[in-house]
Amino acid sequence: MNLRTDKQLGEWLDRTKQVMFSFEGKQYKAFDGDTISSALWASGEKVLGRSFKYHRARGVMSLANHDINVMLTDGEDTNMRGDVILVQEGMSLMAVNTKGGVIKDKNRFIEYLAPFLTVGFYYKAFYKPKFMFPFWENVIRKAAGLGVTNFNYPRIPKPKLNKHVDVLVVGAGPSGLSAALSVAMSTELQVLIVDENHQAGGSLAYDRAGQDTHFFKMEELLAKIGKAKNITLRLNAYASSYYTDHLIPIVEDRGITKVRAKTVIVATGAFEQPPVFRNNDLPGVVNGSAAQRLIYRFATKPFLNGVVFTANDYGYRVAKDLIKAGVEVSAIVDLRKKVSEKCLASIEALKTQKISIYSSYCVYEAVPNKDRTGVSAVVICPFDEDTNEVDASQQITLACDGVAMSAGWAPAAALLYQSGMKVKYDYIVEQFVPDVLPKGIFAAGKVNGTFDLEQRISDGARSAVEAMRYLGEENASNIKVEPHTDSSPSHFYPVVNHPKGRNFVDFDEDIQTKDFINAAKEGFDNIELMKRFTTVGMGPSQGKHSNMNAIRILARIRDLPVEKIGSTTSRPFFHPTPIGHLGGRSFHPQRQSAIQGWHKKSGAVLVDVGAWSRPEYYQVSGFTVDEIVQQEAEAVFKKVGIIDGSSLGKIEVCGPGAAAFLERFFTGNFIDQKVGETRYALSLDESAVISDDGLASRISDELFYITISTGNTAIVYREMQRWLQIWQLDVVLINVTGSYGIINVVGPMAKELLNGVINEDISNDKFPSNTVKQFTIDDLSIRVMRVAFVAEQGYELHVPADNMLAVWEMIIKEGQPFGIRPFGTATQRLLRLEMGHHLPGYDTDGLTTPLDLGVQSKLELNKAFFIGKRSFEIIAKKPLRQRSVAFVLEENFSGQMPKDCNLVISGKDIKGRVTSVLYSNNAERVIGFAYVDPNNTSINSQFSIRTDNGSLVKATVVDTPFITQDKGQQI
Amino acid sequence: MTRLTKTSPAAYSQVPYDVDWDIINQTRVAMHFDDSDVEIKRTSSLGLTDVSCLNRMGVKGKGAATWLTKQGVTIPDKPNTWIETNNALVLRLGMSEFLIEDQLGSDECKKLELMIQDAPKDVYHVVRADASFFICGDKVLNMFSELCTLDLSEKVFKFEDVLMTQVADISATISYQTINNKQIYRLWCDGTLGAYMWNVLHQLATEQGGGAVGLSIYFPNK
Repeated sequence: MNLRTDKQLGEWLDRTKQVMFSFEGKQYKAFDGDTISSALWASGEKVLGRSFKYHRARGVMSLANHDINVMLTDGEDTNMRGDVILVQEGMSLMAVNTKGGVIKDKNRFIEYLAPFLTVGFYYKAFYKPKFMFPFWENVIRKAAGLGVTNFNYPRIPKPKLNKHVDVLVVGAGPSGLSAALSVAMSTELQVLIVDENHQAGGSLAYDRAGQDTHFFKMEELLAKIGKAKNITLRLNAYASSYYTDHLIPIVEDRGITKVRAKTVIVATGAFEQPPVFRNNDLPGVVNGSAAQRLIYRFATKPFLNGVVFTANDYGYRVAKDLIKAGVEVSAIVDLRKKVSEKCLASIEALKTQKISIYSSYCVYEAVPNKDRTGVSAVVICPFDEDTNEVDASQQITLACDGVAMSAGWAPAAALLYQSGMKVKYDYIVEQFVPDVLPKGIFAAGKVNGTFDLEQRISDGARSAVEAMRYLGEENASNIKVEPHTDSSPSHFYPVVNHPKGRNFVDFDEDIQTKDFINAAKEGFDNIELMKRFTTVGMGPSQGKHSNMNAIRILARIRDLPVEKIGSTTSRPFFHPTPIGHLGGRSFHPQRQSAIQGWHKKSGAVLVDVGAWSRPEYYQVSGFTVDEIVQQEAEAVFKKVGIIDGSSLGKIEVCGPGAAAFLERFFTGNFIDQKVGETRYALSLDESAVISDDGLASRISDELFYITISTGNTAIVYREMQRWLQIWQLDVVLINVTGSYGIINVVGPMAKELLNGVINEDISNDKFPSNTVKQFTIDDLSIRVMRVAFVAEQGYELHVPADNMLAVWEMIIKEGQPFGIRPFGTATQRLLRLEMGHHLPGYDTDGLTTPLDLGVQSKLELNKAFFIGKRSFEIIAKKPLRQRSVAFVLEENFSGQMPKDCNLVISGKDIKGRVTSVLYSNNAERVIGFAYVDPNNTSINSQFSIRTDNGSLVKATVVDTPFITQDKGQQI
Repeated sequence: MTRLTKTSPAAYSQVPYDVDWDIINQTRVAMHFDDSDVEIKRTSSLGLTDVSCLNRMGVKGKGAATWLTKQGVTIPDKPNTWIETNNALVLRLGMSEFLIEDQLGSDECKKLELMIQDAPKDVYHVVRADASFFICGDKVLNMFSELCTLDLSEKVFKFEDVLMTQVADISATISYQTINNKQIYRLWCDGTLGAYMWNVLHQLATEQGGGAVGLSIYFPNK
């Protein structure tokens, strides 16, 4: 069956370009510009998909991006919406959610189980008997969801752009176009119009009532838009959500543009709502506007011989369009008793064309064809709209192959709801309309409750005036929009009950009228509860075609006015958006040392440490990572090693209040610290949890140089700034983390090596441990600190970052005779463990106090104040839960190696966990730190660690350091 | 003064390219990434140049404004604006914080670095190690529209403005200046993120038909 018509004025098809594609294994011809649905429909295919729950046959319903029963896969992508996605040459498409194809879907027999599958049945079933739940869970998981996720989907980076405009107009229908033109013609404000459709014009393009005047009006508006230099029109672009300050992400194929507008005019129109009657979901039963779209956009008849079921004047416009397209309209069935004056003229004209008009009648049911894949007739009955009663005794059967439905509209107001709009129910148009709009947001057209074309154009202009005034354009003169006077565009209750049901309210989830009644009987009679119990509005179309009818049904069940029921707000993004769009192009900022190139050239294997990329170790062919780490550690232990420590945070605390600031910020004493001295600096948060540690070096009376751990730099600096604001001390903070690189030269030969580089006396007498001094290398002034973190002999050279490579290479060169070896973070972790130093963030967590770690001696409790002091004093009075201890495993241990985070077990109780554990060649033992029972911390006491394979390993508590370079192995 | 050669924070990212290097301000600098005519073409769409080699220093503290003025440096009246003085850019980053950047041939920073040793106690020297870039071409705003949420069009972002914002998810400072009658956007970021920023900018520039441009395009006599 070919449903393609002759060329239509303004059709979207390029008939010079033919496109071949396949659907369910069968080849089809289409024209460039066809959507998948329109191409199949034109070829006579009516079953385009299956419904989610009962697997009923479904076809075109809205053709407005909400036909969620027509979702397809091309093998790579899934859940492609057939009603809007353009068909392309070579596409090979299958309907999703079928087993055995869309026609022979084996799951179509689920419908026969419908009496057992009422809404909410799964809340009451399956959990008994308990042992059966895994079985049912498996069944339900397989049944749930649409489409199959393609885990090999190519990663195509879609940019997320930012754009700033004066006026954003959402919707390129008559109201939106009118609003944009009004702004553009009287100001220089930059206007952006976005519309989700492939072409602009909205309903002007297809709602023609058999004439072309609307189309010509559209052309006139678009011609003006084209000439306006300050209007940009973007099509295939939907405004997906509203965020504070008029931030509206616009979604297009190419990605998302985050538009920040000074003001927003929402002219999004309305979604046509299907009336509810038995079998209103059969292929061939379409919304009136969908029929019009098929005709004028895609030159396709919705059916050959149909009936129009209407509950408003719009149905008569649809009938005229059907007739003009060559469809035989045998009858118009009007739910209403009374029609408008304007409509009476249409009725008379249609009667002359021998079309039967049934007023106060309803479509009682659509009669399916033999294989339930289409319509063979409709049964109509007298209907009393006041009582909602059907007189089923007077049935008339009308043979037809399709039904066009027009019962009313629901505003496309998701953006407005998200912006915080307050609504009211307007009984004249039987629709929720904006009552109070947030500042800078304006609504126009159908979403604002205006339906007549001239009114919609005026309403667009009115909203433009308000928007211009909002932006300070005081000269904009008032425009008054006359209120709606004709009969209501929406029926107050277009629901026809049927004892056998199948009168669908929600096509996404196959929810029928009786489901709402049952839900209410069970107590779910609030709109939010009912939504969740019945799942109405929770499918892919998010209730665009069902929420309004659901509200009306619930209002009737509860005998309340519609406005008392309220409505729900869709979360952003209210329309499904690909995750690739949401993710956008990935930016992964990564800090690098000034000598990253040298590291790479020297075989460094890099690892992420906080925001930094650091060498973990330097590859040596023929050796494993573990072997290399031990070699690097041995070099440090016996000779000299060098590590790039640039990632350490570095903050200068300057000013007369610097020492006082440190006294408050850290737990130790700094007031009496001598210039040139370096002290340990431990910081707590207000609940006495360890937040970081580092070193504070006094460079001058009013300048301290603080180093903090790599991962905490940003947090500590931010906290310092925050506390400085609170304390108001005369202090300036300068974050110089990036300004200096750190070269850490360590090991017994470090001093001898540096003697050749720094041409000054660095003997222990002149430059003892825990001091800082300014030296020069080749006339470059550098700060050097004596630090014993990874080895007893350690020199930290703080070098201007841009000179770091030169200094590093110089030391490497000078170090060759000493056997210098660069080492990475893996070795650093081992070395500091051998030295018995905890690592904050590694050996601590978000609850670790100084008592847990055993570093309470670093707290100067005689001070009047330091951050966390008060909390510490409270905690100190309570029993300790755990305590960190150093431990070793037995000599020549050969069992399952414990890992970080393995639990410390006593009987059946968890007593703690391992925080660091490594094998040390230098110590010839497995060494580590673990939290244990605080009553089991004495030297030589033992505890058990449960390893990954479940075996228990005995560990012995020891003192630290595990080794010393002077004495060797100390254990 | 040291004779040690400096490296640009972004140099590591430029190594893979066929670069002509030279030493400017004691810093190893990419002078050419390609033939001059190719680079000139890139500057018309989206040219990216590493100018981290320009000397710069920071001054911070309550007395910073007064001290700079006393040293003969003209400073901007308002925070978040810049001014050119003695062939150096002076960016006022706050009421009491300044970034001074020499243009090629200027030694204002060197002079100030010497003098700040004797500055009053409420003036602090900020050692800067920024990565700094020239970005020019008619697609600059296209690129920034992906990297920065703020409106950088001239209608909003005025010639004298300095913006401290996020670019490609990191903190950056932006302004624009005119060099050889060309409008050049300037971007400064922390040097440790210089290679990252170069990679991001270069990728986007290449996508827009531009790319890396050596310093000699702007300063052919250097």
